[in-house]
Amino acid sequence: MKFFIDNLPIIFPYDRIYPEQYAYMCDLKRTLDATGHCVLEMPSGTGKTVSLLSLIVSYQQFFPTKRKLVYCSRTVPEIEKALTELKRLMEYRISCAETEEERAKESSFTGLGLTSRKNLCINPEVAKEKKGKVVDAKCRDMTNSAVCEKGRADPGSVDLCDWHEKLGELAAGSQIPPGIWTLADVLELGRDKGICPYFAVRRMMPFVDIIIYSFHYLLDPKVADQVSKEMSKDAIVVFDEAHNIDNVCIESLSIDLTRPMLESAGRSVIKLSEKIEEIKTTDAAKLQDEYAKLVEGLQESLTDQTDTDAFMGTPVLPDDLLHEAIPGNIRKAEHFVAFLKRFVEYLKTRMRVLHVVAETPLSFLQHLKDITYIERRPLRFCAERLQSLVRTLELHRLDEHSSLQKIASFATLVATYEKGFLLILEPFETDNATVPNPIFHLTCLDPSIAIKPVFERFSSVVITSGTISPLDMYPKMLQFTPVVQETYPMTLTRNSFLPLVITRGSDQVAISSRFEVRNDPAVVRNFGSILVEYSKIVPDGIVAFFPSYLYMESIVAAWNDMGILNEVWKHKLIFVETPDSNETSIALENYRRACDNGRGAVLLSVARGKVSEGIDFDHNYGRAVIMFGVPYQYTESRILKARLEYLRDAYRIRESEFLGFDAIRNAAQCVGRALRGKTDWGLMIFADKRFARADKRAKLPRWINQYITETTSNLSMDMALTLSKLFMRTISQNPNENQTGISLWTLEDIQKAQEKQRQLELLVEQQGDDDEYGDGGISDSALMELDI
Amino acid sequence: MTACTAKASCKKLPGLLELTDTHLQWTQDGKKAPSVRIAHSEAASLFCSKEGAPQTRLKIGLVGDDNGHNFTFSSPQPVAVAEREKFKKELTTIISRNRGAQDALPKPPLPVAAARSLSVTAVPTPGTSTPRPTATPLQASHSRASSVVDDRRPTPVITGTDPATEFRLRKKVLMANPELGTLHRDLVMSGQITEADFWDGREHLILAQLASEGQKKGKPGQLVDPRPETVEGGEIKIRITPQLVHDIFDEYPIVATAYSENVPNKLSEEQFWKRYFQSKLFNAHRASIRSSAAQHVVKEDPIFDKYLEKDDDELEPRRQRSEQVDVFVDLAMTFEDHGDTGNDKDITMQAGRQKAALPLIRKFNEHSERLLNSALGDLPPSKRQRTDEGEGSYTQIDLDDLHDPEASDGIILEMQDRQRYFNAVMSKEAEAVKQHDPAVVLADTKSKLQSTESKLTQLKIERKAGDAALIAMTTNVANRLDGKSRKNDIPDGLFRQMTTCQTAANEFLRQFWLAMYPPPSELQTVATATKAQRLAKQAKMIGYIAKTPEKVHALIQAAQQHGIDAIRVQNALKPILEASERALTVYRNKKPGQ
Repeated sequence: MKFFIDNLPIIFPYDRIYPEQYAYMCDLKRTLDATGHCVLEMPSGTGKTVSLLSLIVSYQQFFPTKRKLVYCSRTVPEIEKALTELKRLMEYRISCAETEEERAKESSFTGLGLTSRKNLCINPEVAKEKKGKVVDAKCRDMTNSAVCEKGRADPGSVDLCDWHEKLGELAAGSQIPPGIWTLADVLELGRDKGICPYFAVRRMMPFVDIIIYSFHYLLDPKVADQVSKEMSKDAIVVFDEAHNIDNVCIESLSIDLTRPMLESAGRSVIKLSEKIEEIKTTDAAKLQDEYAKLVEGLQESLTDQTDTDAFMGTPVLPDDLLHEAIPGNIRKAEHFVAFLKRFVEYLKTRMRVLHVVAETPLSFLQHLKDITYIERRPLRFCAERLQSLVRTLELHRLDEHSSLQKIASFATLVATYEKGFLLILEPFETDNATVPNPIFHLTCLDPSIAIKPVFERFSSVVITSGTISPLDMYPKMLQFTPVVQETYPMTLTRNSFLPLVITRGSDQVAISSRFEVRNDPAVVRNFGSILVEYSKIVPDGIVAFFPSYLYMESIVAAWNDMGILNEVWKHKLIFVETPDSNETSIALENYRRACDNGRGAVLLSVARGKVSEGIDFDHNYGRAVIMFGVPYQYTESRILKARLEYLRDAYRIRESEFLGFDAIRNAAQCVGRALRGKTDWGLMIFADKRFARADKRAKLPRWINQYITETTSNLSMDMALTLSKLFMRTISQNPNENQTGISLWTLEDIQKAQEKQRQLELLVEQQGDDDEYGDGGISDSALMELDI
Repeated sequence: MTACTAKASCKKLPGLLELTDTHLQWTQDGKKAPSVRIAHSEAASLFCSKEGAPQTRLKIGLVGDDNGHNFTFSSPQPVAVAEREKFKKELTTIISRNRGAQDALPKPPLPVAAARSLSVTAVPTPGTSTPRPTATPLQASHSRASSVVDDRRPTPVITGTDPATEFRLRKKVLMANPELGTLHRDLVMSGQITEADFWDGREHLILAQLASEGQKKGKPGQLVDPRPETVEGGEIKIRITPQLVHDIFDEYPIVATAYSENVPNKLSEEQFWKRYFQSKLFNAHRASIRSSAAQHVVKEDPIFDKYLEKDDDELEPRRQRSEQVDVFVDLAMTFEDHGDTGNDKDITMQAGRQKAALPLIRKFNEHSERLLNSALGDLPPSKRQRTDEGEGSYTQIDLDDLHDPEASDGIILEMQDRQRYFNAVMSKEAEAVKQHDPAVVLADTKSKLQSTESKLTQLKIERKAGDAALIAMTTNVANRLDGKSRKNDIPDGLFRQMTTCQTAANEFLRQFWLAMYPPPSELQTVATATKAQRLAKQAKMIGYIAKTPEKVHALIQAAQQHGIDAIRVQNALKPILEASERALTVYRNKKPGQ
């Protein structure tokens, strides 16, 4: 359908629209008009992505400025879903186009998705590799400019990638025809035409209207430096499913070092020095040339690199990069290698300490200087210098040097940032381990550091998710000021989902995943009987989430020994998330087959785990979601403790407040996976007595919380079962009442709402005039600020 | 009627154990009515005492009650054993049939044979899951006998299959509904109604039975986990049934390999299983992480240990699978989407730290997949992929309630000469439309309705009538309460007679009305009754019906003898009398030849 918001014509690819979607679009438009940032929470499964794309595409097509859309999502399945959604939207827009001209305009609209080489490679020699890092390295060996030059001058002397060569023949901007291409489409196109899908997308990026990729491609400076550098400032940036965005920010600036990594880095250093010796005898001019370049300043040498050459972005944010020449003491290749060697040896000695050390970057640097005389300034250039050296030496199989790269990144990060970072050395994995397995964490504590350049560079950043409550937490943590901040309730003609809080088993023993009681047999049994009873009454799929892998693995074993799973087997198949993602994907697919087939299945999985992100369990794939326990983070973790302390000191967010917020957003995310559309229905079961507390529930998104009544917030298992049965019996009836007008709007309903809105505004305007007249020209805020 | 009988005591009271074709019953000596009566469908399990034991015992477990009943055969030793064997044989067939019918509640396979028969002889071939119940010839001969009597028309074969299957189906239906079974015995076997008449109008029961039999039963979901039970003397015993062997081979192909390689050359059948259950291999297969506790029981075994595989407890599975999964559930792609960043997860969030649980988890996933494949067929994953990629991926993101239901085009009805059809209807319709101009009708209705309101206010209910209605209702309720509170003191025998009389009369009436007004035949059976046949049937039925008042009278008299209020019996049977009267009147008034 087609309608107007203010003067903007919107084309929405359905006949009806949810009121939430309409409100969401209005707020989104307000943000774009104001060129500001916003935080929007829209109930899961009410078509957030389609509304977002529909509005932004309409916006892009209507205004001549053509702002580019950078759409970020968490996972590849979500990226693919967004692309599919966009593809369908554009098909609909083309079919709606009235004139030939319009049709041409819609058809030339281009949208692409980007993911790693591993996911997009079609060269069988390279694609067969299992590890993404190896694929990257092998790809670079066949595509970097030096190799290409050599290969083209003397065909057959080096292995080149045919797909990449073929792509090179195409003119810029014509590698992929206009239109929307999902990842699968791009792969197919690559196979058909014999061109490399990965570089085709990379090279098309300046020409597309919409690019969809994961958060990391914009937030992680190592990647963003290569991929997202050329995005124009007026681009619209959307972070969809952004409830975990703070974690992505933190991750992109944190690094772990282990002893095996240091060993491997040590070997790399030796290899490098051997290579330098070799080159000195064969091609000394090359090193000389590099040295000369470095004297002039590094910038030139970096700007002429192409997309095929970049292999390791700088780990620090663009603003923090030093735009000056590399210090003299690491300009010469052999000096730099010696420098690296010293640094690695220093780290090795640090690792021998058998007690936990936590220190700030400054104290680390001081100690480093005292012991090894390594200064801060050369350390800051470590990553860049290594890049330059590797390119000069024309090294192959870079994946073998990944540890050294990591250490260089570590050096650069630790020397660049003083605030918001902490170094933690943990000699033992657990408290009662006796064999040391030291890990040196460099951890970023402040999520706002990584996202700051995004907010500064782009005029409109949209942060949206199904579960992003409490809304004010995000602006606080990420340090930005939104122009619009909104959460929408869910309008339903009948309650299509039933959230239940089970606080005790049928034996009245309180259930909880609290550390002290979680392995209590009574609690384990009560959790088990919840699963058994629900597997008896719920049709098709049940998804159960546990707070951690450790707990899931131990409880699955315990349930099996108690014979609880035997009861479940009678009614449903059981699938469990495993450490291997491919194995889990296969289990997931089988789970969906079992749900489609009617056999029904239970999927046991972990909140914050692989499955909880990006996989939907709508309709028959999840008629009930059971959340066993509150998914708190492991509070004994030193990194978490440091982060909590930082949040308290820097942003005045209390520890318990953050922990509760973090646990509840993950729980809400898990249960929200079960819904798509308003005819879909599902049970949401929160099994922990702590969910009954009002402060916990208040943190749930409004659209879930509004349906938790006083009675359903503190149930024993048998009461919950009765309510669930009743719910399923009523929900399975054919809905006779017409949803249209209440939870579904037609075009007329939109117009009615708009008319109402206009009248309201008119009224407010009139009243506003009166007010101003009343207090003699002093505004309310001025009165409030007046300190008497 | 009785398949076998034997003298047996139950709860130390001597009596007679009988197996009829519907029930297993035991009557205490000197009593007429059996005190234990078990319908065939209730029998769930059977246990026997060992051969050579001082007492020859038989225990039958019931559905939902494992305690069941114990019978001791009281005849002298050799006779008792022979009798017991006879019972065992019959009951085994019955129980296995019940098992086959039990769909929703698959019980763990209980050994049918005596505990000592540990050796397994039959190795079932894959594909035969549950033994198909075979019809006992006994019942079939009964049915056939009755159908021979029926010379007017052959017993219709409803299901369209051979008569033998048909008889089996009928028998099953009768077994499943004891009430219907009694009626059948009372009427058909006594020759009052023919077999064909009896099933007339009950075809759906047979068809339903056929359909439910035709439904392929899936494998039960439970893991194959033979749990050993400890018997006196500290020995550990595992019962092996052919089903268990089949399941083990299915679940662990490695055992099947071991079996085929070693039996019977190196090991005998019995030795094989004995050693298997003591081997490390078995322990590795057990779905438990406690197995480490049982480690000391496990012996080294040169034969089985070579089949032992390493525990599948690494982070990556031992068996890597390369099949392509749907991109919407592909987690590996996310994993490979960008280089690893950030600090390691804390220990609780590192998957696979509980190494012992990993083989178990993998076993669950594999077992579920195997079950799924056994039902859906083991398609290669490449073929499982949706062929219509575009369509498939759109349906996964579609919000179906946002589509306008009325916007769909519907399905056009293809019709010959559509134009003509509409012409004919239109001409008539046009007249009708003319007569009812909506505006006129609306105005008319409105004017009529306007006065209603005032009329309603004037409405007064006569007091007398209201009171009468209220009193009638009150007495009604009082009567009902009275009826409920009163105890049922009619003796069992008489009550049963009354019920029989009632059901029999009902059946006659049903047959009669069926013959009078045959239903529009939905089901074109081979032998739909002709008119003459129907007339004959009416006459026959009315003959029976005419006798009903007589029977009722006899019952009333019997009641008086028992000292029960005859009026009550009369009241109870009044409806059936009235119904018979009505049938008789209709029959009498019927014009001959109609």
